[in-house]
Amino acid sequence: MLEKVFFGGKKEQQVTEKIRRHIEILHTAAECFKKALEERDKEQLYCVPDLEREADSIRREIVSAIYEGAFLPYLRSNICRFVEIVEEAFDRLEDAASVLENVGLSLDKEIEEDCITIADKNLKMSEMLLIAFDTLFGKDDLREKTLAIRIYEKQVDEIKVDLMKKLSEKEVKNFWQGKMLSDFVSFLTRISDVIEDASDYLHIINISLR
Amino acid sequence: MKVVEIMTKKLETIEADSSIYDAIEKMIDKRIRSLLVKPKDEKDVPGVITVRDIVNKALAKNLDLKKAKVGEITSKPLVCVDKGMDVEYAINLMSKFNITRVFVNDGKEIIGIISLLDVMSAELIKKAKEGHRA
Repeated sequence: MLEKVFFGGKKEQQVTEKIRRHIEILHTAAECFKKALEERDKEQLYCVPDLEREADSIRREIVSAIYEGAFLPYLRSNICRFVEIVEEAFDRLEDAASVLENVGLSLDKEIEEDCITIADKNLKMSEMLLIAFDTLFGKDDLREKTLAIRIYEKQVDEIKVDLMKKLSEKEVKNFWQGKMLSDFVSFLTRISDVIEDASDYLHIINISLR
Repeated sequence: MKVVEIMTKKLETIEADSSIYDAIEKMIDKRIRSLLVKPKDEKDVPGVITVRDIVNKALAKNLDLKKAKVGEITSKPLVCVDKGMDVEYAINLMSKFNITRVFVNDGKEIIGIISLLDVMSAELIKKAKEGHRA
């Protein structure tokens, strides 16, 4: 019923397909990043900025279509905000990829495994965000999906605590090396926060549809 | 779902002759509720000390936490599950022994730990993924 009333128009369907594509690209970019980190593969890393550019273009199309009249006015700002938050996840992923390239795709053994685990959680969170988005048009309970995202986010938080402790005990040989490592961990751990924020916005959109 | 898929690899250890106070400090610092107790010698086996052990066997009995040794309240032997076993098997073990976590072994090596919270989180995530088209 909701699907028919709120998403049933041609313009709305085009926009929802684009939003879905936007999240799918985030998932692909997260997968590239994880592989690049695991395999220390520069080629995989380059796909992150490429996908970010593609996603940026889709975001512009979505926002334009919304302000050209897709969706009822009271829904537009929340949908736009949701898309912007997903875009922020791309930005942090791209930042992390950029720093990783600068450090030569090589991280210290003590922190490498934790970073790969976080990259894997980010990947799973992006997949769950896509599932949650699809739930807006189905009969499944969105609460279950957003809870799964929160569980992943808490798991990342726990790893982050350990990671920060390991970093604080690490000897830093020069300023830039320390800064890049600190930035990398900040960007990597920020992604899960942003995806959680995006899922919160899905919840708001879902409520506003009732 | 296999235990290796959801286990926590973070294993914190402590020596059996450390004080219980050392164990408490380590648990608080690391935000964990159990520590793997290393064997005293080659004939010994590893054990576990949990928050429950500290409360029931040390605090409730007014032991001097700075003098009493971890080894005095360690639970042995460890309840372990092989990494290739199903999560259901681990749940049954936890239920049977009334414990909230079991260790995961790969042959003779302890490689992880799985708690009730890990099981609950994994089940909720599995449920959230069910029936999705992507």
